[in-house]
Amino acid sequence: MSAGAAAVEVVGVTKTYAGLVAVDDVSMRVAPGEVYGILGPNGAGKTTLLRMLFGLIRPDSGEIRVFDRTWADDDVRTLDGVAGFIESPKFYPYLTGRQNLEGLRLLDGTGLPDRVEEVLDIVDLTGREDHKVGGYSYGMRQRLGVAASLLRSPRLLVLDEPANGLDPGGIRDMRALVKRLAAGGLTVLLSSHHMDEVEEICDNVTIMRRGSVAFHGTIADLRTMAPDPGHLLRTGDDAKAVVVGRLRHPDIVVEPSPDGGLVATGSERGLAAYVADLVHAEIPLLAFTPTRTPLEALFFMLTDAEADPPSRPVVAGACR
Amino acid sequence: MRRFIISLIAALAVVLAVGGAVMAGSGGSSRVTRARLERSLPTVFAHVYTSQAKLLGHQGVTPESLHPTAMCDKGGAVEADVGPGSNWNCLVSWSDPDNPMPPEGYGKIELNVHSNGCYTAAAPSKLVGFLTLTDTAGRVVTNPVAEFDACFDPHGDNTSTGVEFPSLLAITTTALRPDGQSHVSVQVTCGTGSGGCHGSVTAAAGSTTLGTVPIDVDEEQTGTLAFPTPVPDGTAEVVFTATLTDGVGPAKPVTLPMPA
Amino acid sequence: MSATVDDRPEVHAALAATRGQAGLAAALRWETRKLRAQLRSRALLLGALLAPIAVVVVVSAQSRPPKDTLFGRFATENGFAMALLVLGFASQWLLPLVTAVVAGDIFASEDQHGTWKTVLTRSVSRSRLFWAKVLVALGFGLVALVVLAAATIATSALVVGRQPLTGLSGQVVEPHSALLLVAAAWATMVPPLVAFTCVALLFSVWSRNAAVGIAGPVVLGMVMQLVGGLGGIEAVRPLLLTTPFEAWHGLLASPRFTGPLLEGCTTSLVWSVVSLATAFLVLRHRDITGG
Repeated sequence: MSAGAAAVEVVGVTKTYAGLVAVDDVSMRVAPGEVYGILGPNGAGKTTLLRMLFGLIRPDSGEIRVFDRTWADDDVRTLDGVAGFIESPKFYPYLTGRQNLEGLRLLDGTGLPDRVEEVLDIVDLTGREDHKVGGYSYGMRQRLGVAASLLRSPRLLVLDEPANGLDPGGIRDMRALVKRLAAGGLTVLLSSHHMDEVEEICDNVTIMRRGSVAFHGTIADLRTMAPDPGHLLRTGDDAKAVVVGRLRHPDIVVEPSPDGGLVATGSERGLAAYVADLVHAEIPLLAFTPTRTPLEALFFMLTDAEADPPSRPVVAGACR
Repeated sequence: MRRFIISLIAALAVVLAVGGAVMAGSGGSSRVTRARLERSLPTVFAHVYTSQAKLLGHQGVTPESLHPTAMCDKGGAVEADVGPGSNWNCLVSWSDPDNPMPPEGYGKIELNVHSNGCYTAAAPSKLVGFLTLTDTAGRVVTNPVAEFDACFDPHGDNTSTGVEFPSLLAITTTALRPDGQSHVSVQVTCGTGSGGCHGSVTAAAGSTTLGTVPIDVDEEQTGTLAFPTPVPDGTAEVVFTATLTDGVGPAKPVTLPMPA
Repeated sequence: MSATVDDRPEVHAALAATRGQAGLAAALRWETRKLRAQLRSRALLLGALLAPIAVVVVVSAQSRPPKDTLFGRFATENGFAMALLVLGFASQWLLPLVTAVVAGDIFASEDQHGTWKTVLTRSVSRSRLFWAKVLVALGFGLVALVVLAAATIATSALVVGRQPLTGLSGQVVEPHSALLLVAAAWATMVPPLVAFTCVALLFSVWSRNAAVGIAGPVVLGMVMQLVGGLGGIEAVRPLLLTTPFEAWHGLLASPRFTGPLLEGCTTSLVWSVVSLATAFLVLRHRDITGG
C-alpha cells in the first residue's frame, strides 16, 4: 500500500441489473481515518455500491480500489483489513453466537489472538453467546454482526444502514460505538437514509439519487447549501398570525399547513423577529417546532424523496 | 428459479441430443447378443450343474467333463437375435453319462435377459430336476440348476460361436376333431433351432393312408396340417409319422384317438 | 456496547503481521464444523448404520427369498449374497439420495440463510470456499457409503452367515475371497457416488434451493435407471450415471471382467468434471444480491 492511498477509491462504477441501472458512473474517495457517509433514499444504489466493494457483485465497468487493492488483481486480499456487513447481518441459525464467530474467525485466516470473548463483550452479548442464533432478536443479530466485523480488527469498517431495525437505545449505542471506533483511527464507510445519522458522525458525504451521485462534499459544504428550515407554528389565532407575517415580515413565508397550524419558512433571524412580533401582538403561541433540519430539507431536495409529513419527529429510525 | 428451470430444460435438451447422436452413430446396437449368451451360458451351466452333482453325490462331474455348448435365439425366426428381453431361448447340450441327452440332443433353457448383461435362466425340470432337491444328507435344498442368475461381459467376444441345433417338431394336437367330411388335421409346433422344420408328415388310419402333407414351419412358429383323405368309418385311432429334412421330429410316431 | 474497543498497538501489530487469506484447510474445518452441527447429517449417518441392520434382519426372516433381484435367490441362506442384494438395492435407489442430502444442500443453504455475504466478506475466496464445500460433500458421501457398506456386510455375515457364495458365473467362491469380492463390489460404488455428489453440487449451486438440490439428482437417477432398463436405446447406457452402479457384476463373474468398471470410471469422471466445472463457473460469476 503506497503512502497516502485512499482507503476506498471508486472510479466510474456502473452496474446494471436486468436493464435497470442500479449504480450509474459513481466515483468517490474515502480518505484513511475519516468517517464517510453514503446517503440516499432506499433504492438509490447505496447497497449495490457496498456489495461491489465487498466483491459480492462485479461492476459492469469502472474500478473500486480498497487500500490500493482491486478484486481483479488481488481477489479476496482486497478485503484485508476490511470488515462490515451489508443490509442486516446473517448467521447460521443452528450454530450458537460463539460458534458463528469462531467459524468466521477461521475464514479470516489470521493468526490473531482469539478476540471472540472480547468482541462479544464489546457488543454486550456476553451471557447469550452460547444460545443458538436462531433464537436471537433482530437487535442481537445486528450486534453480533458488529462483533463479527470487529473480530477482523479492521482498518476500514463498512456499515450498511447500521441503525436499521434498532430501537432508539440501540441507535444511540451504535452511534456511540461508531464514534469511538472512528476516534481510534478506524476508517468508517457508512450508508444511511437518515440525514441526521450521517450529519452527526460523518466528515464527508456522498448523496446518491437513483444510482448516481447527487452531491459530494463535506458536511460543512452541505450546510451552506441547506435551505432555510421550515417551522411548524401553532397559535391561538392562525388567521391573525398570517396577517402579521405578510404585513410585517416580507422576508419570511407563512402559510397554513395541510395538517393544521402554520408553516413559517425563512432565516433564523427573520423567524425570531416574527415570533417576537406575534408575542407582541398578543397572539398566543402554542408550539414552535422545526419541521425538519436544514440538511434534511436539502437531502429531500437533492433526492426528490417523498417528503415526510412535517409533524414527523426529528429523532430518526425509531419508526420502522 | 425460472432461470434455473429454463437452464434445466436446455441441459435436458442437450443430453437428449447427445444421446440421440450416439444412438444414430451406433445404430442403437445392444450389447446383449446371441454370441455373448452362447459363450456365457455353457460356462455358467457347467458350474451350476457341477454344484448340483455335488449335492446329489454324483461322482466324476466337473465343469470340464460336461463340454456344454449352447445355441441361443430371441423370439424365433421373426426377431433379430439381439437385445434384452424375456423371449430368449437357448438350446444347451452337455455330456453326463448318468443323465443322457434326449433324442434331439439338447435341453431348452429359457432366459430373461436384462439390458445390463445379467439374465435369469430356467432349465427344463425333465433334465435337471425341480426347484428343490434332496441332498446326500437328506436335506431339502435349492436346486442350483433349476433357476440361476448370471451376468456376461458386455464387452466380451462377439464373433459367432457356430453352434447350431435343429428345431424340435412337436405335434401339439391332443384330440382329433374331424370335419363334416371326416377330414382330420393336426397342429404342429417347430421349436427353437436353426433352419426351422421342413419335411412331411404322413397320417395313417389302420391300413388306409390319409395322405402325406409337406411341413414348412419356421422356428418358434405353429402350422396346421390338413390331410386330404377322409378317415374311414369305425377308425379308432390315427398314426402320424414325421419325416424331416430340417429339424428333429418326434422319436416315435404320434398316435391320436378318433372321437367316439 | 459499553466496553472499549481493542486499540492496543500490539494487537494491531499482530494483525499487520498475520493478515492473510484463509487456506483451504481453514475453510474445510469450517464446513466440517457446520456439517457436524446439522441434525440432518448426523441423522443420515445414523440411518446408514441402522437401516442395513433392519433390512438384513427383515429379509433374512422371509420364508421366500426375493428371487427377482440379483443374489436375492441366496439371500436368506448366504450372508455374502445378502450383502450383494442390499448393494443392488442401495445402488439403485439409495446412494444418490444419501449423498444428495448433504451435497444438494451445501451451497443452497447459504442462500437459504442469506449467509453468502457473511462468509464472502471474510478473507476466503470464492474458489477456496467452493472447493472446501466440494471436498466436505464428497467426504460425507464417502463416509456414508463406508458406514452403509460396513453395517450391511457385518450384519449379513453375522445374521445370515458366511457360507460359500455362488457367483455370477455359477462358480462357487470360498468365504474368504467372497468377503473380499463383496467389499470390492461395495467399493466400486465410489466413482458413481462421487459423480452423483458432483451433480447434486451443481444442482445446489444452480438452483440456490436445497429441495431442488436434493431431489434433482434423485429424480435424475430414477430417470436414468428407467432409460437404462429400456430395450432398443441401449446405446445410451454407457453415458448414463446409473450404469457404473452395476459395474460390480464383473467382479463376481468367472472369469472376472472389468470392462464395465473402467467404462464406469470414465463416465463418472466426465459427469463429475462437467458438473464441477459448471458449478464453479456459475458460483464464480454470480452476483450475490440476496441475504
